[in-house]
Amino acid sequence: MTRLVRRFAFNAAHVLARPDWTDERNRAVYGKCANPASHGHSYAFELAFEGEVDPRTGQLVPPAELERLVADEVLAPLDGRLLNRDVPAFARAVPTAENIARHIWDTLAGRLAPAKLVAVRLFETRNNSVEYTGGEKPL
Amino acid sequence: MDFSASYRGADGATSGHNYELEVTIEGPVDKETGMVLDLKDLKDVLEREVEARFDHRSLSDDTPYFRDRLATPENFAAVIWKLLDGALPPGMLYRVRLRPTPDLYVEVTR
Repeated sequence: MTRLVRRFAFNAAHVLARPDWTDERNRAVYGKCANPASHGHSYAFELAFEGEVDPRTGQLVPPAELERLVADEVLAPLDGRLLNRDVPAFARAVPTAENIARHIWDTLAGRLAPAKLVAVRLFETRNNSVEYTGGEKPL
Repeated sequence: MDFSASYRGADGATSGHNYELEVTIEGPVDKETGMVLDLKDLKDVLEREVEARFDHRSLSDDTPYFRDRLATPENFAAVIWKLLDGALPPGMLYRVRLRPTPDLYVEVTR
């Protein structure tokens, strides 16, 4: 079995707060991450793919296609943005690490067939990461 | 282990990498020695099967493994798996993880 893992990075700002909650409640649940002025992270994420290596190309995922897809569909919309305001998915869901991993999965799953996306691991900091392996409804 | 090698790509251009190889073995812990495998033995296998064959070589020109295929990370990891699986005690090789650049790795498991 062959698995390929590729790492990417972007920078973004976010606010962890639900618009339908009071400031006190957001502060109680999300702590300093609820700062309405926002704060930011140097995010990184790893995409894991599994599947058959194409005997003609020796590749599981064509690297140029992967680069282009991630650049256009993930990095361009997220890099240097305030996620809550600038990304439609995070108008509906708080941009926690959990939800960002899920959003990246929603954006990319099925796009590089026959290679199968099997995990998105999102690093919010060096120490905190979330891995999403699918199974939930899109955000 | 780390080693360095060059290869020819699909466009005929020659490039190279500092490869990082991570090998995981699995098996019962020997009651007498308290080890799955003597790390010295593992090191000998890695030096013989990987370093001696590939370090400071052209994968495409100096080795027989990439005459009919490109030395992509996927193909190279598969070649290393085969060499190590043949050299280690049967069934002991669990995973080969080959990292050609810091932001990419390919894993082969059984």
